[in-house]
Amino acid sequence: MRDQPAAPLVSVSGLQKSYGALKVLKGIDLTMKPGERLVVIGPSGGGKSTLLRVMMGLETINGGSVTLAGKPYIRAGATPARTVIDIAVRRSIGMVFQHYTLFPHLNVMQNLILAPCKVRGENKVKASERAAALLTRFGLGEKLTAYPSQLSGGQKQRVAIARALMLDPRLMLFDEVTSALDPELVGEVEQVILQLAKQDMPMMIVTHDMWFAKNIASRVLFCAGGVIVEDGPPEQVLGSPKEERTRDFIDRVFHIRQ
Amino acid sequence: MNYSFDFQSVTRNLGPLFDGLAVTLQLTVAANAIGLTLGFVLALLLMSPWRLVRLPVILFVEFFRCTPALVQIIWFFYCVPMLFNVFLGSITMGILALGFNLAAFNAEAYRASIQAIPREQLDAGIALGLNPVQRILYIVLPTAIRASIPVLLTNGIVIFQQSALVAIVAVQDLMYQAKSLATQTYRPIETFSVAALIYFAVSFPVTQLVDYLERRRLAVAG
Ligand SMILES: Nc1ncnc2c1ncn2[C@@H]1O[C@H](COP(=O)(O)OP(=O)(O)OP(=O)(O)O)[C@@H](O)[C@H]1O
Ligand SMILES: [Mg+2]
Repeated sequence: MRDQPAAPLVSVSGLQKSYGALKVLKGIDLTMKPGERLVVIGPSGGGKSTLLRVMMGLETINGGSVTLAGKPYIRAGATPARTVIDIAVRRSIGMVFQHYTLFPHLNVMQNLILAPCKVRGENKVKASERAAALLTRFGLGEKLTAYPSQLSGGQKQRVAIARALMLDPRLMLFDEVTSALDPELVGEVEQVILQLAKQDMPMMIVTHDMWFAKNIASRVLFCAGGVIVEDGPPEQVLGSPKEERTRDFIDRVFHIRQ
Repeated sequence: MNYSFDFQSVTRNLGPLFDGLAVTLQLTVAANAIGLTLGFVLALLLMSPWRLVRLPVILFVEFFRCTPALVQIIWFFYCVPMLFNVFLGSITMGILALGFNLAAFNAEAYRASIQAIPREQLDAGIALGLNPVQRILYIVLPTAIRASIPVLLTNGIVIFQQSALVAIVAVQDLMYQAKSLATQTYRPIETFSVAALIYFAVSFPVTQLVDYLERRRLAVAG
C-alpha cells in the first residue's frame, strides 16, 4: 500500500453552490488521500459548512461533482433540483454537527442502534454490543440508558460521534462540533476525535480552535469567499501563511502566529 | 325562588345517562383516533412542496376551523347523504364529523411542532442513511407527538365537549339522554346539572393533566 501512489479517497471538482442569487461555493477543487485529516478554517460565511453539507449529500449543487473512492456520488444536473446523489455511497460518510442532534425521544443506546438496525438490518443484539463497546471506549459506558436531556453538551457530542461511527464510515465530517460547548467541555470531545485520528480515520474538520487544528490536522485549508485560498501542511497555513488573506485571518482570529 | 329540588328523579334514572356517556366516550375515542392519525397526515401534506397537494388540504383544514361545529355536524348529517348518496349510520356520521373537525385542529398543532424540529436533527437522520419514510416514522413523528401532547389533549377534550352537539341529530349520547330524561321527569334543572357534572368530571382531570405537562415542560426548558 505504502509504495503505491494512493488513489484519492475524495475528489471535489468544480463544485459550485448558490443560495438563490448568493454564490456560496465558487468552484471548489480538492482531493483528499486516504488517512488524511483536513482542517478547514476561514471567516464566517466563507462556505465551510456549505462545503461539508454538500459532501454529506445534504444540499443540491449548481455545478461540479464529488467523488468518493472512485465513485462520483454527487453530480450537478441541469438545474440544482436535478442534482444526482447516490444514496448508497452517501451512507459511507458520517457527519457530526455544531448543534446537538441526538434524537430526544431515544436513549443513548437507541440513538446508536437506530440506523444500523433500520438501514442495514443489523441484528439488535449485535448492534447493541457494538454500541456498548464504542461508548465504553469514549468514556460513556455508564450512560447507555440515559436520555439526551440528561447529558452534558460534551457527552451529547461524544454520543453523536459514536452514533456516526456505528455505520463504519469511510470518511467523517465534523462541522464545529465544539462551538456550542462550554469551554471546559471542549477537551473531552476533541480527545475522542484525536483518538479516531490515531486510527487513521479520514476526516474533514471545521474548527476555530487553534490548538485542536494544529494537533489534528495533516493538512489545512483556508476557505474564504467561496474558494480555497490556501491549502497546505498545518505548519505552513497556520504558522507562516503565504497568502495575505490567510495571514490577516490568522492574526485576527487566533492572535498568535509562530 | 321557591323551587324544591328533586335530584332523586335524576339519580333514579342514572342508567340512561351512563348509557349516553358510553356513547359520548365512544364518539370521543373514535374521533380522537381519526384526529390523531389523519391530523398528522394532513400536517405532512400541508408542508408539501407541491401546491396541488397543499391547496385541497388547506381548504379542508380551513373549512373545519372556520365554520361552527354545529353547522359541520348538521351538514354532515343532512347534506353529505344527499350530495354523495351515503349515510353510514348516525354514530358513524357523528364520528366522522367530529373526527374531521379534530383532524383539522390537530394538523395545525402537528405542523407547528414539526416546524420546530431543528433542521440539523433531520439532517442527522439523512447522514445516518435513514430514508424519508424512516425519518418520518422514527424522528419526525415521535418528536412532533411529544411536543404536541398538551395541545392534542386539549383539542381531544374539546371534542369530548363538542360531541354534545350530535344530540341534535338524534345520536343517543349523554346530552341526548339528558334531554329526554328532562322531558320525561319535568326536571330540567336537576337533569342538566347532573349532565354538566358528568362532562366536568371527565374533562377536569384532563385539563389538570395538560396544566401539569405544560408546567413540567416549562421547568425543563427553563
Ligand atoms: N440555507 C441557507 N439559505 C440561504 N443562505 C444560506 C444558507 N446556508 C448558508 N447560507 C449562506 O451561505 C454563506 C456561507 O454559509 P456557511 O454556513 O457555509 O459559512 P461558514 O463558513 O460555515 O460560516 P460559519 O463560520 O459562520 O459557520 C453565508 O453567507 C450564509 O448566510
Ligand atoms: Mg459553519
